[in-house]
This record gives sequence, structure tokens and C-alpha cells, in this order.
Amino acid sequence: MSSLKIENMDVRHGQLKAVRNVSLSIEKGEVIALIGANGAGKTTFLRAISGAHTLTAGRIYLNDNDITQRPSHQRVNAGLALVPEGRKLFTNMTTEENLLLGATSARKGEWNVEKIFEVFPNLIKRRHTKTGTMSGGEQQATAIGRALMSNPDILILDEVSLGLSPLVVDQVYQNLEKLLATDTTIILVEQDLSRAMKVASRAVCMLEGEIVLDKPMADITRDEITDAYFGLHKIKTNSGE
Amino acid sequence: MTNQIIQAILLGGYYALIACGLSFMFSVMKIINLAHGSLLVFAGYLLWFFAEHYHISPFVGLLIVIPVMMLIGWALQAFLLEKSARGGELLPILTTFGLAIVIENLLFEHFGANTRSLAPYIGDLSWESWELFSGFYVGKTSVYILIAAIVILGSLQLFMKKTALGRQIRATAHDPDTAGIVGINPKRASAIATALAMSTVAVSGLALGVRGVFDAYSGGPQLLFAFEATIIGGVGSLWGTLIGGIILAFAQTIGANIHPQGFLLGGHILFIIILLIRLILAKGGVGHRLKFALGVSK
Repeated sequence: MSSLKIENMDVRHGQLKAVRNVSLSIEKGEVIALIGANGAGKTTFLRAISGAHTLTAGRIYLNDNDITQRPSHQRVNAGLALVPEGRKLFTNMTTEENLLLGATSARKGEWNVEKIFEVFPNLIKRRHTKTGTMSGGEQQATAIGRALMSNPDILILDEVSLGLSPLVVDQVYQNLEKLLATDTTIILVEQDLSRAMKVASRAVCMLEGEIVLDKPMADITRDEITDAYFGLHKIKTNSGE
Repeated sequence: MTNQIIQAILLGGYYALIACGLSFMFSVMKIINLAHGSLLVFAGYLLWFFAEHYHISPFVGLLIVIPVMMLIGWALQAFLLEKSARGGELLPILTTFGLAIVIENLLFEHFGANTRSLAPYIGDLSWESWELFSGFYVGKTSVYILIAAIVILGSLQLFMKKTALGRQIRATAHDPDTAGIVGINPKRASAIATALAMSTVAVSGLALGVRGVFDAYSGGPQLLFAFEATIIGGVGSLWGTLIGGIILAFAQTIGANIHPQGFLLGGHILFIIILLIRLILAKGGVGHRLKFALGVSK
């Protein structure tokens, strides 16, 4: 039984086809690195999975239930949580309020506000601070914590390190390690290739809205990913013909 | 002089009460509900109808009218505001303006041109008063209205700050898409918020009716007073609405002192002055200044 299954997904931004005929099946407990250049369709793909974008074609199954037509809040109820690109915190509310909002779906599980503070100790002193005034790292930690509060089966992390200093990124990943050890299925977008290769068990590369590479991390080389990232394999096959 | 100050505060309480719902919808859902005044009059007519035909005291009538208004609020959000809010900031203003006209004319068609009042149905209370100190009297209804305004504003504030539902409504107001991603049903949150706003409108309808008379077209002035109180107090602050209502009432009282017909003018002039001052003090472009003047940017 696959945890998340996407069949022939098409998503459009008006005239532009941002995601083209993408199919992907993810097993429980997998950690997937979604790799691709800016504009490759990663964010649109993830937003479509979480219900923020409607599909023009295709189906999405979560634990074998068809969730294609469900609004985003029902997908959260079903076990899907997204940490959106740019964090999208409720900036006029405190850290604690943001975390509590994450628990709206009231799914059963181990996560609660105290547990989040255990995993992200840098948030403890920010408990009653409005998130809009906090540093990027603290905001990112809050965004991840908010997603975890719904006790998701699948956690989607879109560009966790965007706009953060290398030191803070290290900190965020240190905290994530505890999370990676659990059996939560994770999809993460990471621009830093070596970091992605270190934490993920499988690489999925997107280029111009399509998946061009999908392999376990163990069988993959850095060059293969780079080729897929820049679309070099296309040039090679073209010249080979 | 003392008497006028006391009366202005009491009148301000009335303005704050009728502004509750408007202010709440403006700050929470970013919708300026131009049908606010007409809905308030509608609630007044409902209370009058139950009192006149079924001899139900308007206070008991609230037990029926509050749920009815909440249902109307829910439907309003689900079938009208939700759809029109998707068309931009201007569209809800136009649709609620149209709704106001529809409600007014339906009321006129059904209840005619006679003015109505709820005062005859509340017995002696309508003219009873307390003597504060020698020679100074305050009407009991006015005091009750001020208390109602404080209680409603206070409980709305508490509800929004302390409860999970209040948090969800605030989150939805801030960013409905992200609210959905977090697991909130944004449609439900908005509908509950509108229903709450309409429950305060029911109480405002009672206040309107016991203070004086109303007819089908009384909504306009009520909307104007509510709007001025909301803006003077600053959008987004419920306690500000109380202050705004009292400031508006003071300006009107001062206006009436200067000239017998200066009552309304005093309020309007103060409103314009406050808008202009904020416009000048604000920094940035025209749009940003306008938003600041209305007290929207917090």
C-alpha cells in the first residue's frame, strides 16, 4: 500500500502548464528529495497535492483514498501537512497560537505544543512573541512545528532553507533529524544538493513540469542529478540521435 | 455641562453597540457591510412584529431574533459575500449596497410608511431613569445599552483572543489559503464570524427600537453612525469602536451646542478631520495612506 499516489497530474497557471502528466508513488516512511530548478513546477506540484491548487487532470490518493476533489482542510484531516514556501505564518499571532492552529484537525498522535518546543528549543523563549517579528530560522521552525501539530502521515517541506543563513539551516536540519528518524513520510524541496542527498532516501527531479529522474539515493550519482536538473540528458540524447 | 458629558457617553454607548457588527466584519473579514443598517432595522421590525402580534416582550423576542439573524448571517456569507469577496475588495461593497436597497424596499412594502417603536412594549422602562446626583438623571435604557455595548465588545474580544474558533477566524481573515493548508475550513470560519456579527445586529435592532422610532428607511443613518464610530476608533480594535462611538457622540453634542442644527454636522466634521489628520500623518503611497486613514493597516 502506497502512502501517497499521484496519477497523471496536470496543473495549469492560466495558459501555462506548470505540471505535466506527473505520476508518483510514495511508500510509507520514505524521505523524498524533490529537486529542480526555479520554475520547474515543484511548488505548484506540492501546492496541488495539498489542495491549494486545483488539478486540470489526474488523481491523488492518500492511503488509497481518492482526495482529488477534497478541499485543503480535509486533506489535513486525512493526514497531509504542508510547510509552504515562504513559511506563510499568521504573522499577527504568537508562536503558540500558530502552533495551536496547526492542531485544528485534531488528529490523534504524539505531537503537542510542548513536544514541538522540545524539538525546536529555540522557540521556547518566543512562545508569546508575534511571529512577524521573529528571525527567519525561528519562523521556519514555527512553520514546521505548525505542520507537525496536525500529526501528519505525510509531511511536505517546501524550501525549508530559503532565505536562511547557512548556520540557521544547519540548526533547522539538526532539529529535523529527530523527525526523519520517525516513520513519517516526508517530501522535501532542497536546493542544496549535498544536503538533499544526505537526508533523503530517494531523489525525484523535475524539469519543465515533468519528472525526469526518480531513483533511490543509493543508486544515484551527483552527475545524474545535475544532468536532470539542467536538462542536459535531453541534449545528450538529441546529439546521440 | 456635566449632564451633557454623561449623556454623550451614553449616546456613545449606543453608537458603539450598533457599530459592533460592522466593526467586527470589517476587521475580521475585510468586508464593509453596507447592508448593516438595513439588517439592523430588519431585526427591529422582527422584534416589533413578535411584540405587536404575539405580545412577546422585545427582550424575550431576542431569544428568537438572535438565532434568526445568525442564520441570515450564515446564509449571507455562504451565498453572497463569499462569492463576491472573491471578485475583489470593491464587489462586496456593491453587493451589500444592493442588498440594503432590497431589504429597505421589502420592509417598506410589507410594513408600510408608519414609524414603529419598541418603547410601548417594554412598559415603564422606556421612560424610567436614575437620579445620579441632585438634578442629574440618566435614562435606564441608555445605561443598559451602554452596558450591552461593553459586554458584547468585551466578549467578542475575549472570544477572538482566547478560543480555538476565534483563532481560526483570525487566521482565516489573515490568509484563507494558508488557513486551509493548516486544517481550518475557511468557509465555516467566515460563516461563523458573519453569524456572530449578525447576532450583535439583533441586539442593535432592539436598542434602536427602544430608544426611539424607526421606519423602513432608518438604516441609512444607523449605518453612517456605525461606520463613523468604527473608523474613528480604528478598524481592527473592538475597544477602539467603543471609544470611537463616544468621541462621535461628543462631537455631535458639541455641534448641537454651537448651533441647534449642528448635531449631525458636528459628528461628520470630526469624522472628516480625523480622516484628514491620519491621511497627512501617514507615510507612503496613496493607497497605503488611505488604508492608514481608515485604520486598516495595523
